[in-house]
Amino acid sequence: MSATAGQGRPAVPESAASRTRISVEGLDKLFKTADGELLAVDNVSFEVKQGEFVALLGPSGCGKSTILNMVAGLLPKTKGAIRIDGDDVVHGKINPKVGYVFQRDTVFPWRTVEANIGYGLEIAGMAKAERAAKVKRAIELAGLAGFDKNFPRMLSGGMRQRVALMRTLIMEPEVLLMDEPFGALDTHTKLEMHKTLLEIWERERQTVLFVTHDLGEALTLSSRIILLSARPGRLKEDFAVTFARPRDAVSLRETAEFGELYSHIWHSLGEEFRRTKAE
Amino acid sequence: MVGTKVKILLWQLVILATAFCIWEWGYDLRKVAALKPFVPSILDPYFISKPSAIWTSFLKLGCLSDPAGFIACFDKNPNNLWLATVVTLKNMWWGFVSGSVSGVLAGLILGRSDYLAKICEPYIVAMNSIPRIALVPLIILMFGLGDMSKVVTAWIVVFFVVFFNTFEGTRSVDRDQIAAARLLGASELTVLRTVVIPSALAWVFASLTPAVSFALIGVIVGEFIGAERGLGKLIIEAEARANAAEMMVAIFIMMIVGIMLAFVVRRVQAYLLRWQPQFERQV
Repeated sequence: MSATAGQGRPAVPESAASRTRISVEGLDKLFKTADGELLAVDNVSFEVKQGEFVALLGPSGCGKSTILNMVAGLLPKTKGAIRIDGDDVVHGKINPKVGYVFQRDTVFPWRTVEANIGYGLEIAGMAKAERAAKVKRAIELAGLAGFDKNFPRMLSGGMRQRVALMRTLIMEPEVLLMDEPFGALDTHTKLEMHKTLLEIWERERQTVLFVTHDLGEALTLSSRIILLSARPGRLKEDFAVTFARPRDAVSLRETAEFGELYSHIWHSLGEEFRRTKAE
Repeated sequence: MVGTKVKILLWQLVILATAFCIWEWGYDLRKVAALKPFVPSILDPYFISKPSAIWTSFLKLGCLSDPAGFIACFDKNPNNLWLATVVTLKNMWWGFVSGSVSGVLAGLILGRSDYLAKICEPYIVAMNSIPRIALVPLIILMFGLGDMSKVVTAWIVVFFVVFFNTFEGTRSVDRDQIAAARLLGASELTVLRTVVIPSALAWVFASLTPAVSFALIGVIVGEFIGAERGLGKLIIEAEARANAAEMMVAIFIMMIVGIMLAFVVRRVQAYLLRWQPQFERQV
């Protein structure tokens, strides 16, 4: 726990023990385009507590990635406040507590698998032997053993995304931001990635904000789902996902409670998908 | 597979042998009255010499057939084939190195700074519109008949090629890769070293192979216009004596030099860009 603990906003009663890690208040994002202004995010407020896995769910183009990028400090906000552990997020300033996984393949093609995963530690100046041991463990954890010396072009999309995931996780970020990290993968690979991520998260319990448009994925992974409306992104509903852990990415989907919550949220999400289409 | 390779090699040899035979004996066919209309006058050895004459000239220019011996001939002739080759190569090398290094640096700096790039743009466009060769007489006026003017000529030709490629390469670096590096704790300088440069390297190398040829062109043109020694000077002198064989010797030497340098660049490129699929099997 860092020294800033307790500076966040008051916690809700049932999780009084956990402090607020991410707080978003009255967040707006206005894009200036060739034909006028476009309101992408409209007055969004939410909090993510220590150890929560929150999915930001909404139809394509609803501004969920925009929100995530503003939380990461990659994009300037138009209005509102974003704080991580009580500190204001400044655009362009990188918070070392925060890890980020992109949807797009951002693995460095000129680095081998091990050099990719060890990148952050290497530039931080960690000694070679210590780094190699950590990288080796990460490679095993990601199921990439034997591919250490391979260049990314020899790997499948799913394996490359594992590299990207481990490259971020090896830095042991306290807050993990993920922008549809499995969005480009096929169903089977996606499920494999869910297994890996669940295994890691259920052990480490990082604070996660996970953007997705896939309801099944959100239910499988998260402990809370924040549903956003179609553009402009507004907060629509907030669902607790209380399935027991450890979860199994495959058998969980066959349980009655999963199906129940799925159809409940699907109804609400469906309205927003239809609104997106109608535009 | 092996069969195909052998066949390809065989065809290449057949073409080479045919070309040499036509070159050597083609013009003699004019003596046969019936064939005369089919033999173009361009085959006249006065214009293109012939392989046997080129070989004789090579031995002569290279001091390999001098009755006084190699050393005496070498000392007597300050622009003998070997010295001329060394001088041209040396000037070309420095022009290539200075042009590539300054081109890469300028490309990286302007590629990373929109502000500077905007300021410099009109000047670069204007400079680039000047045919570089048109500057050679000026360069010789400024730097004299010695080696310096040749280096400067090669530099100015190489610089722009490498600069534009590096600039484009720096511009086209994946923004998300830069963001990913920043999020993993990289400073601006670390991003430059670990993301921008490796990523732009493919573009830089794409310009280095032509840059080698351009450097050679720059030096040769410089030597044509005003020089005391070098392969270009050798050609100009031979031209004054209408000696096609000697010109051909210099041309062959340049061809061999060009092939060797292109090969070296290609090997370095294949090693540094081994992460790219097209270089997979070359390392």
